[in-house]
Amino acid sequence: MDRSKYDNSSEIVLDHGSGAQLSHELVSLIVETLGDVYLGEMEDSAMLPIEGGRIAMTTDSFVVDPPFFGNGDIGKIAVCGTVNDLAVVGSKPLYLTLGMILETGLPMERLVRVLTSIRETAREAGVRIVCGDTKVVRKGEADRIYLNTAGVGVFEREPLRMGRVRPGDRVILSGPIGNHTVHLLSIREGLGFEQRVLSDCAPLNGLLETVFGRVEEGMVRSVRDVTRGGLAAVLHEYADALGHTVRVDQETLPIQPETAMAMDMLGIDPIHTANEGCLCLFVAPAAEERVLAALRSHRYGNRAVTIGEVTGRADPLVLLRDRAGRESVLEELRGAELPRLC
Amino acid sequence: MGKIAVLTNDLQSDVVDKTPERTAAIAEARPRFLGFLAEMRRRGHGIYHLQLVNLPDDPNVEREPDGTLPLQRGSRGAAIIEDFLDPSDTVVEKNKDSGFYETELHDRLQNDGVDTVLVTGLQTQICVQTTAADAFFRGYNVWVPSDCVVSGNPEDRDRALEWLGGYCATVASSDEILAALDQHGELARKVVKILP
Repeated sequence: MDRSKYDNSSEIVLDHGSGAQLSHELVSLIVETLGDVYLGEMEDSAMLPIEGGRIAMTTDSFVVDPPFFGNGDIGKIAVCGTVNDLAVVGSKPLYLTLGMILETGLPMERLVRVLTSIRETAREAGVRIVCGDTKVVRKGEADRIYLNTAGVGVFEREPLRMGRVRPGDRVILSGPIGNHTVHLLSIREGLGFEQRVLSDCAPLNGLLETVFGRVEEGMVRSVRDVTRGGLAAVLHEYADALGHTVRVDQETLPIQPETAMAMDMLGIDPIHTANEGCLCLFVAPAAEERVLAALRSHRYGNRAVTIGEVTGRADPLVLLRDRAGRESVLEELRGAELPRLC
Repeated sequence: MGKIAVLTNDLQSDVVDKTPERTAAIAEARPRFLGFLAEMRRRGHGIYHLQLVNLPDDPNVEREPDGTLPLQRGSRGAAIIEDFLDPSDTVVEKNKDSGFYETELHDRLQNDGVDTVLVTGLQTQICVQTTAADAFFRGYNVWVPSDCVVSGNPEDRDRALEWLGGYCATVASSDEILAALDQHGELARKVVKILP
């Protein structure tokens, strides 16, 4: 199917997943829309050159509701999510796979919009789509569109690992927390915040490259992208892995005023909410200022801030310190009841 | 000086009679609420009823236990309750919590020269709160008559009023609002410091 073969009334039908002619036409549309970011040769597997001795691999599925939002869509999230997972372990993201589950009735125009987002975001991140798969399900068996991306990156430096973090290391956030969650919840329910608070969804490999280029290797100990479970989940993960207390100064947490307003209304703590374009970096004290300067020089890190440090206390807790210096334990949630944010 | 408009939220039997607590709460507020609307009409201020209509293809709509979709367009349960509706009033359909979300409300208010909105109705902690916040973000001077907002749970109402007063609206009783209008001829805009 080339793009001239469908009009605004075209939609996904079961036969688009049958493997017959309509499937081939759909694949043609996908390949044509992805353009130069698609590297596939239409073989059963992609065959790719890899240099260096070690690769990073990751996979993620995406069921975000709604799949189309103010400043992005599920396609953008699907590229960013996997690119960011590759980047935070210190690898250079190179290749992505693209799996799609499409519900019968999905307008073709919507599919093209998602593919266009994938193409533009992949271009920005410098990655190629190397193979893909499409399945079509009956009406009601999925919610419009689900995606899966797996990714491969190569290491041009030593991998970043949680085990490299030391007591005294600074905890730095690359940007505000909570915006992605507020934006999506506001669109779902029509809460009125969706134009003031936008999703932070972004590919962050370029931001990290900027940081790596400004400090000696080893100064950035470990990095996580702050996604499901929010900052709280990341901090607990490190405290548990390190066996040390991580202390955060509550007042330093970067939260957009409208986001705080919405979270207060919804009774949600931003520290537990999902993001799609925020990094938590654990950094040697000697490199703190240079890392902050590097982050702030990039458009995705211009509100970077130090929020706390890893303490020498051998107790795997996360402590929040308020303005008066009082400390309280940040509990890990058993569940957040905020499904389908990515 | 712009005009003042009263916005009501969800004065519809499918919403009001969803629980006995809501029915009782609206019955308790009804005399003052109706009196306030009548007085505002008498003074020449517009009344805009935000009518919640559920769309069949909205996956986030809360359905009845038997799967029935409440608040369907044209249904009796979705109609604005007669007592609250005057022929001079305007009805604006909405499909989400905020009365501004993908509706014609903002355009209509702008066309009518409105710069101050008084947000009323139910529930305080959902539609009143979100409509007020949305109005604030759009630059309106927002007031909330505390005795013309309703929640099934009074604690939810009180918490929402505290939030509204803290962030984006002036909260006052309907008598205080009328007195302020008598005294100043307008309602002063709250100075809000939380936004840059």
